Amino acid sequence: MTTDPSRLLPRRSLIALAATTGAALAALPAFTASAAPKRPVNSAPYDGSSPDTLWWEAPADDNSMIEQGLPVGNGRLGALASNDPGRELLLLTDATLWTGGLNDQLDADGQFPYDRDNFGSFTLLGRLTVDIPDHDLGAVTGYRRTLDLAQGVVTTSYTRSRVTYERQIFASRPDDVIVLHFTQSGGGRYTGTVRLEGTHGEGASVAFGAAFPGGLKYGAAVTAYGTGGRVTVSGSQIAFVGCKDLTVVVSGGTNYAPDAVKGFRDPSLDPERLARTKVRDAAAHSADTLLRTHVADHRALFGKFDISLGTSSAEQRSLDTWERIKARTGSGDPDPELEAAYVQFGRYLMISGSRGSLPLGLQGLWLDGNDPAWMGDYHTDINIQMNYWMADRAGLSACFDAFTDYCVAQAPAWTDLTRRLFNDSRNRYRNSSGRNAGWTVAISTNPFGGGGWWWHPAGNAWLCNTLWDHYEFTRSRSHLEKIYPLLKGACEFWEARLLTTTLPGTSREVLIADSDWSPEHGPLDAKGITYAQELVWALFGHYCTAAAELKCDNAYAATVSGLRKRLYLPQVSPKTGWLEEWMSPDNLGETTHRHLSPLIGLFPGDRIRPDGSIPADIVAGATALLTARGMESFGWANAWRSLCWARLKNAESAYRLIVNNLRPSTNGSNGTAANLFDIYELGPGNGVFQIDANLGTPAAVIEMLLYSRPGHLELLPALPDAWAKSGSVKGIGARGGFVVDLRWQNGKPTEALIRSVGGRTTTVAYGDTSRSVSLEPGGSVTLKDFAR
Amino acid sequence: MRSSSYSVMPARTLRAVVVLALAAAAVTVAPAVRAETTAPAASTAPALAAKPYMGWSSWSMQSSKYPGLNPDGDYSYLTEANVSKQTDALAAKLKKYGYEYVNIDAGWWRDNAWKPEYDQYGRQQADPKRFPSGMKAVADRIHAKGLKAGIYLPAGLEKEAYGDGRTPVWNADGCTTADIVHSDLRTTNGWDSSYQLDFSRPCTQKYIDSQAELIAGWGYDFLKLDGVGPGSGKSGDQYDNVADVAAWNKAIAATGRPIHLELSWSLDIGHAADWKKYSQGWRIDTDVECYCNTLVSWENSVDDRWDDTPGWTRHAGPGGWNDLDSLDVGNGGMDGLTKAERQSYATLWAIAKSPLFTGDDLTRLDSYGLSLLTNKEVIALNQGNTPPARPITPSDPQQVWAAKNPDGTYTVALFNLADRPAAVSASWASLGFTGTAAVRDLWNHENLGTHKDKVTEALPAHGSRLFTVTPHGSTLAYTGYEAESPANTLTGNASVADCSACSGGHKVGNLYLGGKLTFNDIVVPKAGTYQVKIDYVSGDARSVAVSTNGGGAANHKFPSTGDWSTAETVSVPLTLKAGSNTITFDSGNSYAPDIDRIDVPKSS
Repeated sequence: MTTDPSRLLPRRSLIALAATTGAALAALPAFTASAAPKRPVNSAPYDGSSPDTLWWEAPADDNSMIEQGLPVGNGRLGALASNDPGRELLLLTDATLWTGGLNDQLDADGQFPYDRDNFGSFTLLGRLTVDIPDHDLGAVTGYRRTLDLAQGVVTTSYTRSRVTYERQIFASRPDDVIVLHFTQSGGGRYTGTVRLEGTHGEGASVAFGAAFPGGLKYGAAVTAYGTGGRVTVSGSQIAFVGCKDLTVVVSGGTNYAPDAVKGFRDPSLDPERLARTKVRDAAAHSADTLLRTHVADHRALFGKFDISLGTSSAEQRSLDTWERIKARTGSGDPDPELEAAYVQFGRYLMISGSRGSLPLGLQGLWLDGNDPAWMGDYHTDINIQMNYWMADRAGLSACFDAFTDYCVAQAPAWTDLTRRLFNDSRNRYRNSSGRNAGWTVAISTNPFGGGGWWWHPAGNAWLCNTLWDHYEFTRSRSHLEKIYPLLKGACEFWEARLLTTTLPGTSREVLIADSDWSPEHGPLDAKGITYAQELVWALFGHYCTAAAELKCDNAYAATVSGLRKRLYLPQVSPKTGWLEEWMSPDNLGETTHRHLSPLIGLFPGDRIRPDGSIPADIVAGATALLTARGMESFGWANAWRSLCWARLKNAESAYRLIVNNLRPSTNGSNGTAANLFDIYELGPGNGVFQIDANLGTPAAVIEMLLYSRPGHLELLPALPDAWAKSGSVKGIGARGGFVVDLRWQNGKPTEALIRSVGGRTTTVAYGDTSRSVSLEPGGSVTLKDFAR
Repeated sequence: MRSSSYSVMPARTLRAVVVLALAAAAVTVAPAVRAETTAPAASTAPALAAKPYMGWSSWSMQSSKYPGLNPDGDYSYLTEANVSKQTDALAAKLKKYGYEYVNIDAGWWRDNAWKPEYDQYGRQQADPKRFPSGMKAVADRIHAKGLKAGIYLPAGLEKEAYGDGRTPVWNADGCTTADIVHSDLRTTNGWDSSYQLDFSRPCTQKYIDSQAELIAGWGYDFLKLDGVGPGSGKSGDQYDNVADVAAWNKAIAATGRPIHLELSWSLDIGHAADWKKYSQGWRIDTDVECYCNTLVSWENSVDDRWDDTPGWTRHAGPGGWNDLDSLDVGNGGMDGLTKAERQSYATLWAIAKSPLFTGDDLTRLDSYGLSLLTNKEVIALNQGNTPPARPITPSDPQQVWAAKNPDGTYTVALFNLADRPAAVSASWASLGFTGTAAVRDLWNHENLGTHKDKVTEALPAHGSRLFTVTPHGSTLAYTGYEAESPANTLTGNASVADCSACSGGHKVGNLYLGGKLTFNDIVVPKAGTYQVKIDYVSGDARSVAVSTNGGGAANHKFPSTGDWSTAETVSVPLTLKAGSNTITFDSGNSYAPDIDRIDVPKSS
């Protein structure tokens, strides 16, 4: 099945939707001609190796790319690199290279088709191989490769017959290309071939262009240049002979446009031609110039945050990253530098995978085939939200924009689908009120406005609450204006959906969510699930604040405020002692289920706080439920648990879950692969990459060091013994509009620098003490002398 | 007569004495006492198989479904023309590197429908279509090229040769085939294709003599006796062909012609002494061929050899070698292997001192294959005066094999048997010395310079490296701890057992289903990773979880020691803290090796 472009939204209704949502649809396509890159002046050159460098003593091969390939990316264009001396392999991706389309023909059960044709899948752009036959891995010695997280460069070095060879790979955002630069010292030469192939049947060629049946066009191009030898196009490949050094430049993309009106494609864009232009323009510069330009761009973001969790031993430092991961679990000893590097690796992935294009999905920007698990899509019931919990906390607010832009661009299509399809009589989740308004989403979403799998009514609220959190961190007025229509549309949806019921045995009338599934277990049709109640309660609150700050929609905000007051909120089951997940005292699901949906008010929500602000029995019920969920889940589920324990100030449980995620993944088991990608075991021997843990675990680390909500910061709320001796963190984003630099020693903060990025007053607490800080935007204050 | 002149653990007996003398839980062994420096003096070279033989065999191509090899049906590759062609190619390309045997495998007396030819004495004779000139002419042609000729027979009296029992035996007055088998015509060999010979009857040796006379008369220099039991997938009296092998040994001697006797396949290691007594080599494993569209494949069954060889290692030596089967590395496409797999295959064969006979089409060797088969340094290692290597680490996906050579150097092979690239390290401490060492890369003919503490290389999936390591450092000193010491903690079924091969005369066994052995109070001066030597006994390859100080355990598979009365040693890296530590061997929910003793280096 292919998607007929005529099935895309009728143009007229879209324009109307755009007007009502007020969304700016003038965003540039993801792959587009760009102005000449800004070349850094007097910037520090690439300095060999920064302290934030991971290293390995073995490469990847074609069969192990997802666990051993090293990721590079410029936010849109990415690759996994094998770093095999004799055969460098790059699996190229563009974030927008999706099959599928709007997917607006529901299945017989009123739910969405979830397949690679209609819904679509994230797929590879191409394979680039650089073959150097004389450098077979069996013949080289002293092999080493590094991933410099701070500078965004992968370096491979080895010796062959007394010549030292080195290659650097980086994905430049300013030049919009991936560069491979091969050098040597000792009189060596490079002889071999460069081969670019499509993965959708395009074959090999120095440039190719093609289109999916649904209309998305894509293309890629490669060029190479060197010194001291010959570089020629030979048939479908590039041949190089006797080169002292060699530079290979590759680029590519699609004609995806984040614009529902255009059906998410820009018919005027020719990706192959653009790719040819990009590689030609970049190839006009030396590899060194390209590298400096890239490093300056990458460092600008990476340098906004720094973290030290303590000092590792010389023994730990002597191990390559994979051995170190194994030793961390094998010995059980904390490895504070490795644990900090895991945080920085997550930041590296975000810088590399979330800039100027689509946001990070289940696998981020990186694939090893065209059949990623769950299509490599956007899961709206934890995964995409978790991907972005780290951004503001870790100095990467700029990377959050891809998520915002995605939601804003999809909203017209989501609104249209909701209006046309949500109340389909076959949909078990339709509004029993018969009313329908606003927008919502499916559990899975694609980049063409389409949903996949089942409807997910509360997904709209969770997306909105995530967008709102970014506002609380940044206090960005323009962001608030951008997301306001989404918040309002979600409120309208819930206004139409909420049911009035009288609580049994009382005369109290409350509003509850219509039939829904608490992700992803238990009854399919439960009313008033905690997940929805908590999300909508938070959504309504954020909307009212937003309307007040934007001074608009007073009357509607009053309506929403009224609804909020009547919302049912969960109670503790007298049977289990747990905060209820369903409006039932019974445990209707799996005790140790991966999702923490009923604890969403603990994290990422903020309603359930261990500070006396709500009844103690609710905190106790949440703690009991979290305890019952256990410590032995996997990746993202462990990260979420860790964040919840951090909120409950249980440092050792929060830390244990982080350590659990650092377990080495062997033969596809849950844990961390050699390249630090988080692996989820689909079945015996079958592990798949899921990026959410790579991003959610760092969020947990940071949440253990600083808790924030507007007007209140708490230093070191959950500092584990492993990191207590000494540490520092620079650039933590705090809700309320602050950035915090923090140092500690022997478990106590020694210094905290609070900078305002829009926030004005906040309390800063440590232990039982608290002080008030008032700042002008841009101002800062340093606090010392903390006593518990 | 032909026991191995190389002991893998020459110091074992000596050390056991020391342990008994001191009789303490923690035994300090002075380096001078412990030193495993000198190899025993070489024994007088035997007449046959002084070195592992080298050559070519027909079976790999006969057994393959590779396009074009067997156009007239299964196994039809074996013809006079093809043998001549391979003889010429061997002479032209490989002879100067030491390859000398051209071995004709099964089917030379059978047509393409596998119908046999026998002479009037029930002896196999050439199928006229396959070998129109007869078997003597083939041998003559091979000899004319300066090479040696090999031939093949199955164990027992082939059923088709029985001829109602009335077939006379050559040169044995009155003896017929009925007089050489059991009256119930019980079958024998790996395929039950023969009647078992009854050597209690006087005619039986005569039949073997008649076969030996025939092939000696034709001029053959080598006989592969196939389907031999116990082994070849069979056990029990009916399949016990030890007497056959002894008879062949006797019969060959009687011919006066030196004929190398090679036994096949998967010979029972329990009878190793018999095989060593009567033959010059024994296949330790099943066929290496895959019977598929290539000659072999990695999983079926090249990779089995890493697990199946170690138990046999100590049985190899001048006069008799562990035969790992054909070395099919000469043509990547036909072999069905990657370059890395081909190099690893050749590496294991070379260091295990296996015969080096290829089953490739020698007229179609690719350049990489030719380089593997003709690497002079690797061949010299296989053929030279060095003992076979065995694992010095557990048989984990990344493993190290080594041998200490008479000249004080070490042969060290790194293997990565995982399906993905990995770094593999050989630690000098696991070789028993500390400091620096010079490393020579044999495959690449390169000196890699001086390495401190270890050599680490990146290996591709199923890849290998092969080095000669020349130590410049000093012998490592160890503190020994006996498993049977009362200072240790035994859990579950674990118990102390007598063990004559073990130091102190005891070991801890019954480590199964939760059985655990914990060494308490392992004292080291400094925190670090120590290559701890573990002496153990394990008649088959077994895994055990090893942990220190109650931390996370690493599961290691210990290679087979071949039987339950032989101890071997592997080194395991263990992270120890300064001061007192515990080291635990936990069988978990499985069966673990018996532990004899551990030796902890005095420095990490």
